[in-house]
Amino acid sequence: MRISHENPSVGGVARVSGATLTRAAPPSVVRVDHLVKRYGATTAVADLSFSVRPGEIFGLLGPNGAGKTSTIEIIEGIRTPDSGTVEVFGLDIQRQRRAIQGRVGVQLQSTTLFPELTVQETLGLFGSFYPHARPVRELLREVALEEKAHAFPQDLSGGQRQRLALALALVNEPELVILDEPTTGLDPQSRRALWDIIQQLRQRGVAIILTTHFMDEAQILCDRIAIVDHGQIIAEDTPAGLIALLGASAAIAFQVVVPTGATAPDLAMVRQLPGVEDARAGLDQLILYTRQTEPTLIALLHLAEHAGVTLEHLQLHTPTLEDVFIKLTGRQLRS
Amino acid sequence: MRTYLRLTSSMIQMLRRNVALVLSSLGLGIVSILAFGLLFGNGGNVTPQLGVVDEDQTPLTTQMIQSLAHSTTVHISIGSRATEIDALRGAHLNAVIIMPAGFTAALMGGNAQMPVYYDQSNPTSWLIAQVTVQQVVQQLSGVHLPITLQTQAISVHNLRTIDFLTPGMIGMMLMWANLGIGTILVSWRQVGIMRRLAATPLRPGILIAAQMSARLLLSLIQAAMLLVIAMTVFKVPVYGNLGLLAGVVTLGTLTMLAIGFIIGGLTAKPEVANAITFLISFPMMFLGGSYFSVDNAPAFMRPVTQFLPLTHLNDALRQIINNGASFAAIQNDVFVLIAWIVLGSLVATRAFRWV
Repeated sequence: MRISHENPSVGGVARVSGATLTRAAPPSVVRVDHLVKRYGATTAVADLSFSVRPGEIFGLLGPNGAGKTSTIEIIEGIRTPDSGTVEVFGLDIQRQRRAIQGRVGVQLQSTTLFPELTVQETLGLFGSFYPHARPVRELLREVALEEKAHAFPQDLSGGQRQRLALALALVNEPELVILDEPTTGLDPQSRRALWDIIQQLRQRGVAIILTTHFMDEAQILCDRIAIVDHGQIIAEDTPAGLIALLGASAAIAFQVVVPTGATAPDLAMVRQLPGVEDARAGLDQLILYTRQTEPTLIALLHLAEHAGVTLEHLQLHTPTLEDVFIKLTGRQLRS
Repeated sequence: MRTYLRLTSSMIQMLRRNVALVLSSLGLGIVSILAFGLLFGNGGNVTPQLGVVDEDQTPLTTQMIQSLAHSTTVHISIGSRATEIDALRGAHLNAVIIMPAGFTAALMGGNAQMPVYYDQSNPTSWLIAQVTVQQVVQQLSGVHLPITLQTQAISVHNLRTIDFLTPGMIGMMLMWANLGIGTILVSWRQVGIMRRLAATPLRPGILIAAQMSARLLLSLIQAAMLLVIAMTVFKVPVYGNLGLLAGVVTLGTLTMLAIGFIIGGLTAKPEVANAITFLISFPMMFLGGSYFSVDNAPAFMRPVTQFLPLTHLNDALRQIINNGASFAAIQNDVFVLIAWIVLGSLVATRAFRWV
């Protein structure tokens, strides 16, 4: 099921109108076209296309194993695709890999560094790989690691290590930064610190591709999001646009406790309730998406009373990307 | 160039901080010199080849030769002084004993001289030969005969076991220290260091060159340290040119690194790379002549020993350190090592992968 594909006004300009128009309106920073990547019998990326505009934060959102990392590793030039093309800054990743890599900053999902080199030495070394490198001091200040300049990677905390990995991604003053699950495994405080740095990057006009399986992270940071599942993009829009897909103003989640002798109301029944746009069975709960919260809620309680069942853990919330994901895939993201 | 220099200095820094690696490879050489230098004497099961020259031609000398011919601890060949010494030079014999004209008479007179020529590059079998000669002489008379063995080396220098061992230990150390580069490469790949490097414009050739440079520097320092210890503590003389020696150490190091890079390119797990490294190193350590000469190896083994780069590295080191050989004397070994480096690097480049 594909709800929205790439915005034709983005990729379309460069493709149709040729050189003159391309110069007037800057082309996409990244253009991924019908990308396929297989590992033996498994297809990790199945015909995936999207493009990233200058200066935006583009999120690839999906569960583990959805093909996010394979996709961005191809953009980073670490892996080669089985078919399809990737262009970065209008250059082909397979033919002009090093030219692209010189202008891109990369943070891998987990970054392991030379255990024998200090933070400062590591930044200096990586700087030497590029024609132009930012001063190490400046990088350390930007990610707040000045006090750890002489520490070895294994002596850093998880958050500090992620900040060092981010500093490495910024060493060459990149025009595009690719971050693979930058906040996975971090405490809330460290996550927020990293979000701040990422938002400052966008303010400087750096385009960012970000993968995450945190809905809140995607919602807060991303200008546009592609939801990826089984190697394909199943929806692509702004966070608000994606949530609008639900057509609902609220989500009602609950568990049904059925005493002996009573029968649980099924999905078809709750879908009939007034105002209900859609209903889903989650892991251990039911979720209703409604346009009219109050009538739905009252009708739901009546239904429960009639059926002789109790509703537990009843929650009412504004729909999130999590709800979009459940609606699109029938699964919860972090299961 | 800037990248190469920076990467090389980082690699040196990393080696400097990895004290265990430096000490373990150096330690093995020193411990081996000590242990084998002290324990030496029960020299293996090589049957020495002894050339016997009888210029006296008396019943006593004939009897002695017959007795030697029946000995199970030594094989003898009988001939003229010229042919036997030629055979010794050609490494077919370990030693030549000569009973000169008038030997029997001198023996009866109470003081016989028996010149003994030996191949100094193989002290093990020479010592066995020496013991055998003395035993045989004693058996003949039942008493201690007044025979003085006049030992004469074919080449100029007197060679002790420890002198012989020192070049072999340098060769072995170079092998252990540098084949291990494969395991390091694989572990970098496994933990993701290589993946991160692959996302930069760094070229694999520069990474390899920097690694090789840093390792080469380390190897030269280690070789120098081992040599200095051998020279000062064990009084091992070094007869050859130090520049030539450094050149051979360089070639040996690059050969071992090339093999290490091949191992690193072809294996996926550090444990496997490590196992393969051991599988190559252990047989090569012995068949390559680090601890004892492989000149007397059975004929079917010769192609194997001649194939191994360590054989040629050890031989060249030995020729320079023990014999003061010039480039001309070791050019065959040098050629084989260069061939290993060229072919090894080609394969290593093809086998290289980032992820």
